[in-house]
Amino acid sequence: MNPLGLIRQFVKGITTETEPPQIAAAVALGFLIGLLPKATLTAQLLLILVMALRVNFPMALLTIFATILVNPVFDRITDPLGYAFLTAPALAPLWTKLYNMPVLPWTGFNNTVLLGGLIFGLVMFVPVYILAKKGAVVYNERFKIKVMNSKLVKGLKSSWLMDWYFK
Amino acid sequence: MRWSYIIPRFTLLALVWAFFYFAFDPILKWAMIKGLEKGAKAKVEIADVKTSFLPPALRISALAVADSKEEYKNLCEFSALDLKIEGRPLLEKKFIIDKASLSGLKFGTVRKTSGKLFLAKEETPEFVKELGDSSKNFALDRAADIKTDAISSYKVDPDSLESVKLAKELEQKYNEDYKALSAKADFQKYQARMDALKADYEKAKGESNPLKKAGDYAKAGKELKKLSEDFKKDRAEIEKTLADAKNSIKAIEEARRRDTSSVMAKLKLPSLDKASLARMLAGPVVAANTEKAWKWLAIARKYMPQSANAKALANEAARGRVVHFPREKTWPSFLIKEMSLSGELGLEEPLDYNGSIEGITTQPKLYGKPLTAEIKGRKGARALYFSARADASGDALKTKTSLKYSGMAVNGFKLGSENSISVDVKGTGAFKGDFTTEGTALRGFAVFNITGASFLPKADAVKAAPVKDALLGAFNSLNSASIEADISGTLTSPKFSVDTDLAKALSAAFSKTLGSEVKKAEEEAAKKVDAALEPYRKKLDSLTSAKETELKEKLGAGEKSIGSFSDGMLKNLKEKAAPGGLKLPKFKL
Repeated sequence: MNPLGLIRQFVKGITTETEPPQIAAAVALGFLIGLLPKATLTAQLLLILVMALRVNFPMALLTIFATILVNPVFDRITDPLGYAFLTAPALAPLWTKLYNMPVLPWTGFNNTVLLGGLIFGLVMFVPVYILAKKGAVVYNERFKIKVMNSKLVKGLKSSWLMDWYFK
Repeated sequence: MRWSYIIPRFTLLALVWAFFYFAFDPILKWAMIKGLEKGAKAKVEIADVKTSFLPPALRISALAVADSKEEYKNLCEFSALDLKIEGRPLLEKKFIIDKASLSGLKFGTVRKTSGKLFLAKEETPEFVKELGDSSKNFALDRAADIKTDAISSYKVDPDSLESVKLAKELEQKYNEDYKALSAKADFQKYQARMDALKADYEKAKGESNPLKKAGDYAKAGKELKKLSEDFKKDRAEIEKTLADAKNSIKAIEEARRRDTSSVMAKLKLPSLDKASLARMLAGPVVAANTEKAWKWLAIARKYMPQSANAKALANEAARGRVVHFPREKTWPSFLIKEMSLSGELGLEEPLDYNGSIEGITTQPKLYGKPLTAEIKGRKGARALYFSARADASGDALKTKTSLKYSGMAVNGFKLGSENSISVDVKGTGAFKGDFTTEGTALRGFAVFNITGASFLPKADAVKAAPVKDALLGAFNSLNSASIEADISGTLTSPKFSVDTDLAKALSAAFSKTLGSEVKKAEEEAAKKVDAALEPYRKKLDSLTSAKETELKEKLGAGEKSIGSFSDGMLKNLKEKAAPGGLKLPKFKL
């Protein structure tokens, strides 16, 4: 396989998972990652998980960036939520144990926004997944043909790049 | 197995590896430069940043921080900083460096390119401005043709006087303070506690269970001791506030003197007292050096924990808050146990120095040792010694810094200003300075002696020939000079005083030529200021003395009442408790 072929395979690989459940899972995971501070091991591990799973990677990336834009709003929910969990007396032994384990401090679990974001993102995972799946189905049913027949897409399809990609 | 599944994932992993291999160091370097530029408000250059993960280490090569005040000078630069990070604590996100080394540290080196950052604004502290301006604003224009008539017709506006402003501020402050002190000295709260104590004692007396009775007596004894201690504490606090208030009034006297000088300056007449002359001569040089020292202090304070409970950095996390938990094996988040240091001081004939800094940490209480630094250097007759200690393991940060530098060649050392009188001094210098802080309170003293000195005075601003001649000849008989600076107050509101023996020579020259006229004018100006200040000072004096009497009366009555109550109660308790062998605490008012 030549280097160009490799690149083609790469692009194809990360854009082929286009079934509604794959798009929905990507959106839900992207939303979860987007909520978290990125310079932590947790966010990086979740990103690797997205890469490892058969979900639509571009959609996950798009959702991460979209969530980052509204982070200041979500922080108002996740910060107090995380703080409540981190300072709950009943959970203190668990956090203390994790805090004393090697590597785990790098996950940033003791950051209020990270823990709050993780909890909020997991709670919202199913609703976001269902909504995104419905959205994908609706798109496929109602808009996909229109979009594919639009001048922009047709123009793009007739370009050398698409020609090369679908070769 | 599909290639379309494997290849994208493998490629992404390869990209992550490539990022750490090729891009991590440049990104870290960029982040360091941006962070330092934000702090220094000037350009920062780093030649190279190299990290390694096995073993964890960081090397920063050729770092230069430009001086925001001087475009083509560096604030400092160093050749290399090597940090070897311990692996095990790093797994717990703790940066522990056993040995570090910083080499080639130099200050004030020349830059080839501009170090200015165009959007950065550097603010000069107000007290530094004042000190620097004391020379520029020193009036000499009309020194030759003084007429006291000008003073007589000059009208002083009380609202423009610093002393009046200060008197008003103090009056307001005293009214607020006294209100709080009055509440503290109020005997009602002690009476309530005495009544409660008496009731407890009576209750204990009627108790049939001897063990419980003994316990109750002991409790009453403890409460009695606490009551007495609380009163003593309140009394000490009130007395201290009263003493502080009296001391603050002294500041009005200082302000009054400055107001007199200011009136003289407005009339373009020089103020010839030694303190004003010393400020005029030594003010700019002390201001320039203080500004530099203040900048270093601000940087150090930014990264130094202010107390055992304070967080190292205000923004510990860019988003959210970080909650810490107890650790079984505790390491501070960041610690350099020992850093060796070497470099050069001065640009012409640099003096090599070396030393070490121990205990640089973000969590001093956890580390349990203060930060200490010691630097030494010697070359021929020149000798340098610097020591510092910063202890943040208590409630407030305590620092002690000492610098001695002797045998340095003094060339082109300028005192005063072109706007008034300036003197270029040459000779051999010796500097000694001590500086301490405790919380925000500061205290420092520095003296710079120049021996084998020659003086080149300039008085172009003085037009009258006899005065000019007298000033130019004022330093002829001198062969040494001494400049002293004293700093006190707080970090937000420091108080400076400067003195130099050259002021004495200058004062004598002035007095010789136009002393009596200036003195008369000065007396006239002082009278005017006094007259404007008088009503405010009287009001303040009567307020402080009336309130002081009131508080002292309250304290006296309280002391008497608590004293007799304590004696009686203690006697009763001893009598009742003695059979059971109960030991009561000893105390006295």
